[in-house]
Amino acid sequence: MPRSSSPNQPPGRRSKPQGGRAARLFLLLALVLVVVNGLFPSLWLLLTSFKQDGELTRLPITWLPADPTLQNYVAVFERNPFALFLRNSFVVSIAATLITVLFAGLAGYALGRLKLRGRKVILTGIVMTSMFPSLVLLVPLYRLFRGVEIPWLSGLLFFPEGFGTPNLLNTYWALIIPYVALSLPIATIILTSFFQLIPDDLEAAATVDGTSRLGALFRIIMPLSAPGMVTAAIIVFVNSWNEFLLALTFNTAVEMRTVPVGITFYQGQFSFPWAVISAAVTLGVIPLVLLIIFFQQKIISGLTAGGVKG
Amino acid sequence: MLYPVLNVLWQSLHFERLNQPQRGTPFIGLDNFVRMLWGRDEMAWSLSKLWLPRALLLASLVPIWIAARRGGLKRGLAVVATVVLVAAAGWLLGYHPAEGTRWGDPRFWNSFNITLLLIVVTVVGAFLLGLPLALLANVKHPLKWLVRLALLLPWAMPRVFSGLAFAWLFQSDYGVVNDLLGRMGINHVLALVLPEQWIGPRGVYWLARDVPAVVAVSLAIIWKTSSFVGLILLAGLQSIDDSLYEAARIDGANAWQRFWRITLPLLRPAIMVALIFRTLTAVQTFDEPFAMTGGGPGRTLETLGIYIYKTVNGLDIGYAAALAVALFAISLFITIFYLRWIYKDD
Repeated sequence: MPRSSSPNQPPGRRSKPQGGRAARLFLLLALVLVVVNGLFPSLWLLLTSFKQDGELTRLPITWLPADPTLQNYVAVFERNPFALFLRNSFVVSIAATLITVLFAGLAGYALGRLKLRGRKVILTGIVMTSMFPSLVLLVPLYRLFRGVEIPWLSGLLFFPEGFGTPNLLNTYWALIIPYVALSLPIATIILTSFFQLIPDDLEAAATVDGTSRLGALFRIIMPLSAPGMVTAAIIVFVNSWNEFLLALTFNTAVEMRTVPVGITFYQGQFSFPWAVISAAVTLGVIPLVLLIIFFQQKIISGLTAGGVKG
Repeated sequence: MLYPVLNVLWQSLHFERLNQPQRGTPFIGLDNFVRMLWGRDEMAWSLSKLWLPRALLLASLVPIWIAARRGGLKRGLAVVATVVLVAAAGWLLGYHPAEGTRWGDPRFWNSFNITLLLIVVTVVGAFLLGLPLALLANVKHPLKWLVRLALLLPWAMPRVFSGLAFAWLFQSDYGVVNDLLGRMGINHVLALVLPEQWIGPRGVYWLARDVPAVVAVSLAIIWKTSSFVGLILLAGLQSIDDSLYEAARIDGANAWQRFWRITLPLLRPAIMVALIFRTLTAVQTFDEPFAMTGGGPGRTLETLGIYIYKTVNGLDIGYAAALAVALFAISLFITIFYLRWIYKDD
């Protein structure tokens, strides 16, 4: 099995110097600080989500919920169609992930295994596009998705009364298309580095046995690079799940909002129902937490491939 | 990927308001940029007015540049001279006696400044926090998985969520930050040091006053992005060969020397990658200020991203495209700056 670029036993610094109890204590303290820093804001939201409404505005503030309740979670679904938000997020993210991994797999195969001329130029171009500010996409995509008439096609034989793109605002496609475009570069970089790890002999053997190049890709290379596929898929999924600006601008209808956008609509003009917001955030984070718990090493290796190659 | 760039460039040369379709989408040259940088109201300087002197002035810049170079001026000096001339030309072009000499779209310059400030503060902050995070996540320890989880969770959190989380932490009456500061007695110190109008009954009004809001939003961004920087640096650390440390230890180098002489130099590529990606995402800062203050208080935290979003929402597409071009120019400038830095060293 080809392993990711950082195997299970990463060659790191063995440890801080063994000497001295003080040094070890200091190290432990630092580690605790890291953990607290990373987890505290989320834990605080989790605690808040179990508190009664009155408890939030009582002084002095309490740390653990005095009277734990699940009413906030009920309120999340009552005040807004949160189940719909979750569904939208899942549909958009999974579709974007599948499409991206398919295309990035083909591109990564070409770049990683075939002796292409201009490989380096293409790879540099991909790295450059992965740095592309998505904010710049906002204006052209907004116009495009509202439906644009294409003048040079209009008036032709097939489209006598004008031809234009359909209005895609408030559809899943309005999000899937830009998410695929934004994730393709990073996914391609990750998969290219994975394909490069597979030994040439395997594929040669398959070709000798009479399998076509594409057949070898699907029967031999794809299964072998499954870890890479999973890594790329996770990173694309997380990126798509978290995207905010485009989702906020393109899908304004309530029933088409994704989770990050939907959550910002729990606050009123002057009221912040923090307990409910916390509960909603907790629910929205759960899929991500599950992902990073189960695929910790894969995510790190994926970011490694994407980062260091860049 | 080239299409949106060209489209947005083309768009930025047009007037287009989706709520005023009867006005069409006339070509207005650089008027959107004139409005942005030198501040006339829309169409006040349409092509019909004064286009000849403007074109002449702009065209004269090229010979001035060539003359400056031929005349043996150093390149840096020639750049400065040209910039001065461009600024002077712009001032002349934008000057309107009836309106005084107000410079530019104030909202654009405000968003430009706050974006630059956030870039500097959060990139430096994320790096200073991310490096120790990476070093500690690389330490062998039975609880390594927990440390890595703590490193990954901020990375995986949607930026809106972390923004909301920090808005709640920094809430002035019932937020945990003010509570902790109060318990440690720091609130009394802050009350003495900071201006009176920033201080409420339960501590600093974090999100309702301008400077504290910038601090709070910066901290939220730093918290969120330091994990990304940390992960990239961790990858760099893992690629450093262990035998180097062994050799250094045998030679009697202490931990501090090993860090400065081995870790940092070998970490350079990873550091550059992390800095480039972090800076380029910082240019687009949108989610955290939007979630925490909605760009407020007032317009303090209206970053370039938020301004573009609001302009698109106001259906002023042409001007939004011009703003997007400005943002693109900034990120291009930053990329070139970093690339030159890298290639100078190699």
